[in-house]
Amino acid sequence: MAARARLYALPLIVLAALLALALLRRAADGPPVPPAKLFPYGALRVGIDPSNPPFAVLNGNNLSGMDVDIANELGKRLDLPVQFVFLGYDGLYDSLKSDQTDALIAGLTIDLTRLNDVHYSQPYFNAGLVLVSDQGLAAMTDLPGHSLAYEFGSEADTQARDWLRRILPFATKPYELPTDALDAARLGDANAALVDAVSARLYLRAHPDWKPNLNYVTDNLYAVATQARRPEISVAVNDALQSMIDDGTLNQIINRWL
Amino acid sequence: MKRPRAQAALATARRLLPWAIRALIAYALLAAFVPAQPRAPLGAPQTVQTDDPQLCMHTRLIDEVDEWKIQRSLALTREMGAGTIVEFFPWAYIEGSEGHYDWSSADRIVKQAQNQGIHIIARLGYVPDWARKLDNASDEFTTLNTLPPAAYPEFAQFVAAFAARYAGEIDDLIIWNEPNIAFEWGYQKVDPAGYASLLQAVYAPAHAANPNVKILAAGLAPTLEPVGSAVGLNDITYLDELYDAGAQPYFDALAIHAYGFTYPYNDPPAFDKLNFRRAELLRDVMVKHGDAAKPAFITETGWNDDPHWALAVSPSLRIGDTIGALDYAQKNWNWADKLCFWALRYPVPTLSYPDGYTFITTTFQLKPIYYAVQAFARGLEQDQALWLPAPVSTPSR
Repeated sequence: MAARARLYALPLIVLAALLALALLRRAADGPPVPPAKLFPYGALRVGIDPSNPPFAVLNGNNLSGMDVDIANELGKRLDLPVQFVFLGYDGLYDSLKSDQTDALIAGLTIDLTRLNDVHYSQPYFNAGLVLVSDQGLAAMTDLPGHSLAYEFGSEADTQARDWLRRILPFATKPYELPTDALDAARLGDANAALVDAVSARLYLRAHPDWKPNLNYVTDNLYAVATQARRPEISVAVNDALQSMIDDGTLNQIINRWL
Repeated sequence: MKRPRAQAALATARRLLPWAIRALIAYALLAAFVPAQPRAPLGAPQTVQTDDPQLCMHTRLIDEVDEWKIQRSLALTREMGAGTIVEFFPWAYIEGSEGHYDWSSADRIVKQAQNQGIHIIARLGYVPDWARKLDNASDEFTTLNTLPPAAYPEFAQFVAAFAARYAGEIDDLIIWNEPNIAFEWGYQKVDPAGYASLLQAVYAPAHAANPNVKILAAGLAPTLEPVGSAVGLNDITYLDELYDAGAQPYFDALAIHAYGFTYPYNDPPAFDKLNFRRAELLRDVMVKHGDAAKPAFITETGWNDDPHWALAVSPSLRIGDTIGALDYAQKNWNWADKLCFWALRYPVPTLSYPDGYTFITTTFQLKPIYYAVQAFARGLEQDQALWLPAPVSTPSR
């Protein structure tokens, strides 16, 4: 049931985002808005949370990460300098509302409850939970009779307990860290591991000889957020992001960090 | 001339009347098919049984649509052994238009908490649209945290109305939240003297409305921002300046936010370090200004176990530090009336790292930290390993 729900939920979220953007594009149709009017501050002001590695992290005065690279690439394609505004999660959406920022690129998940105030671009990364296995286990429904490793107390732990109520039993193997859970799957102490996509990709970079399959179990779609009252910016940002997807730049950036 | 027109109107009304009746019947039939809201009838009054009277949870109940979720959250709070909650009661929700109060959302929380035997500390803030316009400036770029000084009397009036309505049920009122960061001060310049004026505006009307009320100065955001920063001001410096601005007579207790971040619960405090025991430095400022007799309430504390946030720890460390903090506060902080953990549960997930602070998921799944704190509050020792040892590099399959 849950797998089916996920099957429907993901296209629905993406469809809702695309529909909103299509409507925006229609609303924004007309003579092109000059950049000076579109970005009156002369820069793409990006709200970013520098406490979220590998998406954004501040070491001394050096800001780096995947979100930073995406923002800089968007700025390049919009022909604007990028001005970063450092914010914690609590202040991110308010900064859009109070016009402190033009866009938020901060590992933000598309949140359908915010669509009155915020427009989201298409997703640029899925940070959901992935099932990692080198034994052909491709979905949670394949688990009965096998063992699953995960980080104790994590979202994967919650998911595992949730699935135990829905399908035939499987053995649960909680570990202290996600890397321990992945070690268990790699070394054969468990048939699969359930971890978030970021942890999985970072682990696989460190263990290039191990080639398991990764299959998403949940979705956590990261997107660029813009002000709903400035639809021209939403369209411009989304078009720039689309061009990054089309020419492979987005993938290059993701692979640089994960 | 008038007669034919009246006749025409009458004919139109006669023609439309059957349709209006049909529409009414259809509406009534459709309404009958709408499922009724799940009810949350009050059961027998409960009491909280706990070995730790300091234990308290910060809840997020005001945004709940379904009353049964409020009831369930409070029952789980009681079952965990927490006898107190901190809950936010936004001014903007209650006095949406000037002078017209809608207490219904607040009432149902108070009613359900009383039934569970749980004491409430109320945090008051969030400015209604009409009050944000009182400085005659455009409200285009204001936020719910923008409180123009011209609206201080209106806010004070609201606080007094709240104090009067819930006298004897809610006597502890936190005025505002984290005024030492620009975001919580409506992106205005952080201003200890301005906040002192707000406390002064509120204090007398609140006490007149409820003589037993306790006004708590807001918990400050743990931050190292220096003087002159556009983002905020170091909480220790801010509290010092708040006293210098003459705020002392206008609050009865201090709320403190003491997050552990990546440090263990017993890490020693320092001016340039954000950790759990930083609360002791804030307490030192109170003592320095002759306020040792005033209690403090740790109204926000805890550790976060998001997998990637730079200021988070693993779930296992979070549990260890949380239990350590409860034990430490019991033994060392007799000046701390409560130790309130952020947060029991969110009505909807934030879909970001703040979800790593919760004890219960939005879908009411209890996280392991819930059981660990419950065991502590019952005086039980945890003697079972909660996780497996790290795998060794010899394949066992």
